[in-house]
Amino acid sequence: MRDLAERALDAAAAAGAEYAECRVVDRSVQHLVVKNGVVAAIESDDDEGLGVRVLAGGAWGFAATCRLDGGSIDDCARLAVRIARASARLGSAPVRLAPLAPAVGDYRTPTRIDPFAVSLEDKLDLLLRVDANMARVPQVRVRECSLEFDREHRYFASSDGARIEQTIIESGGGIDATATSDDDVQRRSYPNSFGRHQLCAGWEAIESFDLAGNAERIAAEAAALLTADRCPSGVMTVILDGTQAALQVHESCGHPTELDRVLGAEASFAGMSFLTPDLLGSFRYGSDQVTITADSTREQGLGTFGWDDEGVPARRVALVDTGIFSGYMTSRESAAVLGQESNGTMRADGWSRLPLIRMTNVNLEAGTSSLEEMIATTERGVFLETNRSWSIDDRRLNFQFGTQNGWEIVDGKRVRLVRNALYSGKTPEFWRSCDAVAGPDEWRMWGVVNCGKGQPVQSMHVGHGAAPCRFRNVKVEAAL
Amino acid sequence: MTIAASSADVAAAALRHVAVGDAEALVVDTDEQLTRFAGNVIHQNVAERSLRLHARVVHDNRMGVGGAAGSDPDALGKRVLEAAEAARALSPPTDVPPLPDPDTGPDGPAAFSSATATATPELRADMVKEIAGRAVARGLRAYGFVSTARRETAVASTRGVDRTAESTQASSVVVMMGDSGSGYAARHAADIDALDIGAMADEAVDTCLRNQNAETLEPGMYEVVLAPYAVVDMLEHLGWVGFSALAVQEHRSFMRLGERLMSESVTIRDDPRDPELFPYPFDYEGVSTQPVDLVRDGVCRGVLYDTPTAARDGVASSGHSLPQPNTFGPYASHLVMLPGDNSVAELIAPVRRGLYVTRFWYVRDVDPLRTVITGMTREGTFLIEDGELRRPVRDLRFTQSIVNALADVRGISSERRVELGEGESGVLAPWLRIGGFAFTS
Repeated sequence: MRDLAERALDAAAAAGAEYAECRVVDRSVQHLVVKNGVVAAIESDDDEGLGVRVLAGGAWGFAATCRLDGGSIDDCARLAVRIARASARLGSAPVRLAPLAPAVGDYRTPTRIDPFAVSLEDKLDLLLRVDANMARVPQVRVRECSLEFDREHRYFASSDGARIEQTIIESGGGIDATATSDDDVQRRSYPNSFGRHQLCAGWEAIESFDLAGNAERIAAEAAALLTADRCPSGVMTVILDGTQAALQVHESCGHPTELDRVLGAEASFAGMSFLTPDLLGSFRYGSDQVTITADSTREQGLGTFGWDDEGVPARRVALVDTGIFSGYMTSRESAAVLGQESNGTMRADGWSRLPLIRMTNVNLEAGTSSLEEMIATTERGVFLETNRSWSIDDRRLNFQFGTQNGWEIVDGKRVRLVRNALYSGKTPEFWRSCDAVAGPDEWRMWGVVNCGKGQPVQSMHVGHGAAPCRFRNVKVEAAL
Repeated sequence: MTIAASSADVAAAALRHVAVGDAEALVVDTDEQLTRFAGNVIHQNVAERSLRLHARVVHDNRMGVGGAAGSDPDALGKRVLEAAEAARALSPPTDVPPLPDPDTGPDGPAAFSSATATATPELRADMVKEIAGRAVARGLRAYGFVSTARRETAVASTRGVDRTAESTQASSVVVMMGDSGSGYAARHAADIDALDIGAMADEAVDTCLRNQNAETLEPGMYEVVLAPYAVVDMLEHLGWVGFSALAVQEHRSFMRLGERLMSESVTIRDDPRDPELFPYPFDYEGVSTQPVDLVRDGVCRGVLYDTPTAARDGVASSGHSLPQPNTFGPYASHLVMLPGDNSVAELIAPVRRGLYVTRFWYVRDVDPLRTVITGMTREGTFLIEDGELRRPVRDLRFTQSIVNALADVRGISSERRVELGEGESGVLAPWLRIGGFAFTS
């Protein structure tokens, strides 16, 4: 990898690049699926290539190739410079980068059990046991469970002198049980929706999920939802489980604190942000219960690494500090606009995409309450579990979420299971109504494996630490 | 950059490494370039060259799958086929769908333009310059992209399938922004010379200038006129939740064949041969693509098949497979809604009080069986009063059943537009006038 990167940097310099960086990435993925008792996929995928990003004429150019012979690498670097010069034809002000001391080092995800060393037989045995446990519930028509293991070896080199080697290992797995009746379809997922839960960890993460031990319970919950009452409507107290709190953080705090988005880089696609720079340091985003950080050092998070894809060291940044909007996720280019240094959140989707500001691990920090205490002190409300639908506007203000499970709460007790729950609101009003967050015992790191951004679209794996939390005076209803 | 080998060569080389049983090799060779702009300058400008091999091996009721990117055909084929065979050998015996045999369908055309295939970074930059120039002339800021892509796909199998096609796509999207509002427009075609960048920019400028200082409107049920950019989202979501045979087989589709669920004026097809919609001759199994009437005159008529779902129903695949194996099922890749006979002005004229919606944003399924979706309006929502666009209104959230909306269609335009949905498949859609649409906040 080192030789490939050095060749790309040399070719970029020879073509006239003022600055160049090269990422060589070799990614291996193993994916296993069992559906309705049948092994639906045993799939391995290897993806290797390099991307070169340059400044020439004061503008950016990027080119990537999977062809790793010397001539193709030279061509790729020269194309990046040609593209940069084409970018400069519109006569914009030269790009300025925040200063950065070039780093040299390496990083590897800590793992206890290498997931690629666990046999395929053991992995299939687990999935078939999970499936058999779900099959005990006859109303479940579609049973699906999967495992995924990712190993990404990255080498980053820049013309400033950075030389960084990193190996990131992820392990993920999940269950989906879909129950059907003549007039309804209900799904339950575990540990999270979107197919699976994933962590930067080894096989020990899969063991901790206890997929087999939860399979029949999840299937039974899907069946129970078919005959559950519809969620009550009205303005009431909402308690979110950790997975739904994680997605709420992702959509309503993570995305609007990406500084490239604030500055307009995503305006034609993902949109912009209501958190404009004039609000920094003074805007009350949430109640004083709400502290949200972007922390790429947090154990097991999908946004945990040694350095970001510009070579900036991992760190913890406060985005919301006891309710006050206090920071953005930044890159070297965007940080310079605010006269800051980058806080290290540039991430690229493999070798073929340029780095963008992406969430690392955006965490709702633990509070002092507990789920049971929150329920016990709620007169009328709902406890909502596991995302079913999600939507938010292009400035990240107007949201509506649906969840798979709902529990009506009356006078401090869960009184009945309810289905098709939706809740909606406006971001700051919602977070200002947060009056309790559960403590460290219930705080977990969750993974989102389908975060989309950029054109061409990049899919990123991001982490969210969260615990159950409570919100007052929220609009709740049942889907039509 | 030079092409090391054609996709057909890579597929053929891979099949030489089959140890036992049958195998299928799918090769996708792509050369994609995208020039992105923000605030009238180019801020991201990228090119990607990739060649990927995906292969499955089937033998003794076991299947294994492998995939990799690379350039040396022999090394790539050996690596992928060995990985697939290793996985197959470890798989327990199970119900493995067969690999398709070669079909005798006519080899239809693929959308291809040499002008798109050879487009340069300088050409794209000049196109951006033209868009930005029209923005600057009206005191606006332009955001968007111009992209070109060439793809060569080959599917070959030990059962005799041997298909190759080369296609291109050129796209441009622009959001024009003023001080207090924005406007959207997009164009997509196989031939970059057919993208009318000037007309696209002017459309977005016009919408933006009319969409300044929007006022708040109370949510509720409104009659609407939806532009194609919005209609595309509805058609695409129908495709995801209901048009596949797998969704029907798993009892999670709204489709009830033979029943009238929509207005008699509504006909929806999936037509991979439509010349306006990036025609393509075969799917990811190498099966010839067939046009399918999904809803005709409001009545549910058909669903889409790949080989596994077709085997289950004892019919032929319609050529709508994604790379196999997958748990998603057949994919609606070329959705088309047939036009009506109204002009856009004729759709707006009868509306006493309603909304004109340029596009939707962040549309998600709320209740797939009932085709309920939620999302926001974006970049051009206008109040219609007494048959005329009166004033812009702030973006609204809607939560609405698509099928119920299409049951209440009161007019369809004769003009249609190609737009890419969120899944990046092309959809050909008209403007629609719908009697009632639920805006919730």
